[in-house]
Amino acid sequence: MSISGMGRSSNGYAPLRAYAPIGDGRSVALVAEDGSIDWLAWPNLDSATLFAALLDVDAGGFFRLAPAGPCTVTRRYLPDTNVLETTFTTASGVARVVDALTLREERLGPARELQRRVQGVSGTVPMAWVVQPRFGYGRARTRLGSRAGVPVATSGADALAVCSFGAGTARIEGDTVRGEFETSPGSRGVVALCGAHQEPLVLPSPSELDARLEHTIAAWRAWATGRSYRGAWRDPVLRSALALKLLVHAPSGAVAAAATTSLPEQLGGERNWDYRFCWVRDAAFIIDALLQLGCAPEAEAYFWWLMQATQLTHPRLHPLYRLDGGTSTTERVLPLAGYENSRPVRIGNAAAAQQQLDSYGELLQCAWLYAKGAGGLDAEIGRRLAEVADLVGRLWRETDAGIWEVRSAPQHFTHSKMMCWVTLDRALALADQGLLPDRHVDRWRREADLCRDFIEQQCYSDELGSYTRFPATTELDASLLLGLLAGYGDPTGARWHGTVAAVRRELGHGPYLYRYLGQDGLSGTEGVFLSCSFWLAEALARTGSVAEARTLMDELVSLANDVGIYAEEIDPATGAFLGNLPQGLTHLALISAAAAIAEIEIAEAGVADAGVAEEGRP
Amino acid sequence: MTVVGALAGGFAGTVVLTSVLRAATELHLTRIDLPFLLGTIVTGDRRRAKALGYLAHFLVGFAFALVYYALFAVLGRRDWWLGAVFGLAHGVISGTVLVNVALPLVHPRMGSELSDATTNALLEPPGFLARNYGPQTALAGLVSHVLYGVIVAVFVGGA
Repeated sequence: MSISGMGRSSNGYAPLRAYAPIGDGRSVALVAEDGSIDWLAWPNLDSATLFAALLDVDAGGFFRLAPAGPCTVTRRYLPDTNVLETTFTTASGVARVVDALTLREERLGPARELQRRVQGVSGTVPMAWVVQPRFGYGRARTRLGSRAGVPVATSGADALAVCSFGAGTARIEGDTVRGEFETSPGSRGVVALCGAHQEPLVLPSPSELDARLEHTIAAWRAWATGRSYRGAWRDPVLRSALALKLLVHAPSGAVAAAATTSLPEQLGGERNWDYRFCWVRDAAFIIDALLQLGCAPEAEAYFWWLMQATQLTHPRLHPLYRLDGGTSTTERVLPLAGYENSRPVRIGNAAAAQQQLDSYGELLQCAWLYAKGAGGLDAEIGRRLAEVADLVGRLWRETDAGIWEVRSAPQHFTHSKMMCWVTLDRALALADQGLLPDRHVDRWRREADLCRDFIEQQCYSDELGSYTRFPATTELDASLLLGLLAGYGDPTGARWHGTVAAVRRELGHGPYLYRYLGQDGLSGTEGVFLSCSFWLAEALARTGSVAEARTLMDELVSLANDVGIYAEEIDPATGAFLGNLPQGLTHLALISAAAAIAEIEIAEAGVADAGVAEEGRP
Repeated sequence: MTVVGALAGGFAGTVVLTSVLRAATELHLTRIDLPFLLGTIVTGDRRRAKALGYLAHFLVGFAFALVYYALFAVLGRRDWWLGAVFGLAHGVISGTVLVNVALPLVHPRMGSELSDATTNALLEPPGFLARNYGPQTALAGLVSHVLYGVIVAVFVGGA
């Protein structure tokens, strides 16, 4: 089927590498290389799905649009957009498909709209399309009918119109809507899915569809033009920024960890989680990346959302919150087959009930970065952050589930302790600037010192020359690198040099890193965690090994799929993607590493230039 | 039954309504903050938004008290339970229409059903019965509005 060999398995599943996301700030559709949209949750990213063939090829629903016969495929995003262009080359001709979830404009349009536009490039290409809508994760009863000659699928408060122009006669067959047509040079056709939720359908005309697609392309380009990055990896950074923007839930500013649920970390395994929530652990990365990229409005929206969402549980933090700010994330299992039979398929996430002490450090680090960028903090937020610091002053001695949300017994995870120290240290820094009440600074300072003593005395192995995963063990954990990136200790000191080297030695596999090799309370294994590799690149740069960092970054940016997207993990043996995608944390880690390396290189170049100028001075 | 009584009731009722909602916030039952929601219509500065929001909230409280007053006059009675019924209806309409639907559409800093990748919302939309602000928001909102209605009725009756 494709030049890249990303054909479907015997079970009918496309490799995860074959998927490219498109989105509109409300939801994300995943388009397979063979022209099938196998994932779309409507109306929002965390809603039930309309298409979920990704998790069950038989029951999930899909929208396939592709040549009727054999073909090869090349893909790209239209430059600086989240609009996907797929070129199908057949023996008889070439056809191009442009896919987009369109953005709203002034005129009346559907609440949600997915456009698939077909252009004939050369010769003739017989095309076929099939829409199999399956609301409610494939479980809700879907009725197919016709309104004003337009095929319509309805289920409860949801409705979907299948509007086609120049794409053959649409007909309803069983539980599908389908059509066939042939492209010729310059021919144009479009199949648009127009969605409605709790309101009547809006049926657009061809000219309105044209105008909305043009508006969508222009809007993405305008957004991309405003991004700032000075460094060697502009294209991967910009693609990561665009991927990240897909995960921003426009009504609230929350950033989802990924667009999917239950894509397995091990094929056939049980490590399948719903990532359509916002994790506090990502907060500092999100704010830092948004500010680095010049996305001040998004950074402000995210920070406001974060402070609003955490108010209900204040001063304690849940590890994750719903995109609408809610705290209820009850985990349930769906009766779906699972990607390549990887069960269970879960919605909701039980990790919300865990204690994860690192989240507090991420929150304070996030506030500290935000305050630096915005030039201040609101007094009420300052009061709340001080209460969080008070809490951490008491909590840091407790065990927790750690950043990886292990389901084994809680531990004194070193990374969590480091982030507790970061919590107190940032609280002191903000109080010093007058942005937090300073009544308890003596206590914060005392507890920060005690926390640091615990880490340095209990969580460091002289034998390994490295910090360890938790006290009295020789296990390592890639999350230790986050302590370095968050500013714990002296990055140029021997302990961090030793830790970075040990993590790379013990957990490394080529350019990859495993998160850890110890127990986590789950059966099976997993792939290598991509964000950890980017953390390693950044850690190398921050500990002075800039050339090594650069080499590693070059390797890592080549691991993306054909359109620059990353999943959560990779199988190091095959290079296959594993886990949910597009994975926000991976793209955030890429942006952070690229920005840090560029910053260090620019600073070093500045020093070198200054040295040359000094030498050249008469 | 006088306009002054209605205005005094509006003031007292708004004080109680605001206090009940504030208490619910402190008890972590809800994240709703009506003065903040109103104030951020005109400014993104939190402190100024709250100050302006309280002012706007009391003006709205006076306005609704006058509406209650007119309804009492039309019906020719001003029982405390009738005030409670008005308050209940007021709370339901607020949760289902005013705050849920109308406010996001006119609020320049609030997300809505129309939000997409071209917008950056600073305030999350309330959702049906403002449940996005916490599952107990609807209950807190209804209780506070019923109290508001009772207080307005008592002041109208007593003045």
